[in-house]
This record gives sequence, structure tokens and C-alpha cells, in this order.
Amino acid sequence: MSGTTDTSSGNGPSAPDPVAAHVAALSDALHGPGRAKSRMIQEIRDGLTDTVEAHTREGVPYERAARLAVREFGTPEELAPSCQRELTIAQTRRTALSVALTVPFLIACWHLIWTSGQDWQLQRTPQLVAVQLAAVAAVATLLAVAALAATGVLARRLRTPRRLPLAVAWAGTTACVAMVVAMVALTVVSPLTTNWPVVTVAGVVTALLHGLVASSARACRHCARLPVG
Amino acid sequence: MKADAVRGHLDGLLLAVLEPGPLHGYAIIAAVQQRSEGALQLRTGTIYPALNRLERLGLLGSSWESVGERRRRCYRLTDAGRGSLESERTAWREFTAAIGSVLNPAATAPAPRPAS
Repeated sequence: MSGTTDTSSGNGPSAPDPVAAHVAALSDALHGPGRAKSRMIQEIRDGLTDTVEAHTREGVPYERAARLAVREFGTPEELAPSCQRELTIAQTRRTALSVALTVPFLIACWHLIWTSGQDWQLQRTPQLVAVQLAAVAAVATLLAVAALAATGVLARRLRTPRRLPLAVAWAGTTACVAMVVAMVALTVVSPLTTNWPVVTVAGVVTALLHGLVASSARACRHCARLPVG
Repeated sequence: MKADAVRGHLDGLLLAVLEPGPLHGYAIIAAVQQRSEGALQLRTGTIYPALNRLERLGLLGSSWESVGERRRRCYRLTDAGRGSLESERTAWREFTAAIGSVLNPAATAPAPRPAS
């Protein structure tokens, strides 16, 4: 009873297995971090399989047992909102974690570069840009840390705001934009300084981390738009 | 009891059936049905996101374990979960006492004094 096509139902080999169809429909409806989603789908598949086995042990034919199990579990439309809520929060936490880890690291890198070397001190415009970007990134980081707390143990006492996933998604996006602007500034200014190899490395690291946060923020924006229960 | 009425108490039900020891998803469903003698109408699929949420809140822990021929996710109550279960029980006792005193005042009112 592995959730494959059932050929013993009398409906012919093309009749879709209700359990497999249910799991496939639910999987199509859900979006979130791959690991969290596959774990949830796996658990639901196991639960359905166990329910079918319990019915067949009582002498119910497989086809009917599978239909009963699906009915007891609830339709994919009934289950999706509550499942999606957890996956949206999982994606929110992932995005918040990526912002909370990468942005302070980048700010520290920029700070080290900016404060090392006298040639760099002469570039006033990049310094101003950096300070403003750091301020924006710091606000995004604070929001990310608050989101991690609000969706973790604090959620035992405080209701998680419904718009928190969207707020974290846009905080991540804002942090990404700050990273891109910083990267461009670093790249443009680096030939003018004696520290250009260090600046180039920082620019490459910024680009890589931007990709990481940007993909997570994009997924978070998508999850935040989905209905949750 | 209708599913909507059960939903508000789902956390307490899940914590309570896990109090004796770890269980996997279907065993949790079976335990709820068994303890309620089938009276609770619950879309059983909804317990999986609820278990995920309770784990995120630190009230449950989980691990993949071999049960029979398959590996299944087994959940166990944490210390915080035991504390939360006690709170749920206290809140439920207070709630039922308050509602009971309104619905059935004769049962909770003090006995009338005998006429002198």
C-alpha cells in the first residue's frame, strides 16, 4: 500500500489511487522550504497509508478503505491552508535567518574595509553610501531577529502577526537591494584604492550572499501571498 | 462534537495523548479517537500541521524512528509541553465550571437552608 496505482479495485489499471492522488494534489498546492514540505507530505502520506491499513485489517476492500481514509483526513482543499501556514512560517524563519546571519557579516566586512587603509578614507561618497546602506540593512536585520523570536518560543504567548511573512519577505528584499548597491559601489571604487583585491573579494562575497537571501526572500513573498488557515 | 468545536482544543488534545510516551502521527490520531470513543469529529489530516506547530513552539520534540516495517516521525512531550498541558487542563476546568454554573445552576448552587 505504497500509494501507487491500485489495480485491485476493479476499476481497471488506469484508476488513480485515492491516496496517491490526494498526496499529489496536496503537494501541488503547498509551497515552502523543500525539506519542511517533503517532511510534511511524507508524514501525511504515512498517516493515510496507516489509516488505509487499519481499514483493510477490518476487512474493508482497498479501494473503499483508501476513499474512507481520504475522507477522514480531509480534502486537499481543507488541509492546504493549515499546512501552508506552517510552511509559510518555515519559509519566513528561513528568510529571517538568512538576513540575520548574512547582513551583519557583510556590515562587519564593509566596516573593516572602510576603516583599513588611508586611501580608502579619502573616498567620501562611498562612505556615505555605506553608512546609509548599513543603516537600512541594520533595520532589516532587527526585523529579521524579531521575526525569529515571534515565530519561535515567543509564539507560545504572542499571536504571530498575519502580515509578518510579508514584512520579512520585503525586509529580505530590501537587504538584497542594499547588498547590490553596496556591491556596485565597491566594484566602482575598488580600482581607485590600494585595497582593491580586498574590495573585489568583498564584492564577490556580497554577490554570493545576495543570491542566497534574494532567492529566500522571493520564495517568502510567494508563500506570503498564499491563503493560510 | 463538531470539527470546529474541537479545533480550539486541538493543542491540548495532542499534548494529552502524548503524555504517556512518544507516538507517531497515526497512533496520535488513534489515541484521540480511542480516548473520545469516536465522539470527536476531526479532519485527521489537520493534526500534522498542528504537530509541526507544537514542535516549533518547543512543546514537542520529534525524531524519525522505525515502527514496524517503516520509519515514522515520532513525537514526544518536552518539559515545556508538560507545563503547557497543565495550563490547558487548568483553563479547561475553569471554563467548564463557569459554563456549567450558567447552564446548570441547580447543580452548582449551594443547598438551600432548611426553613426554621
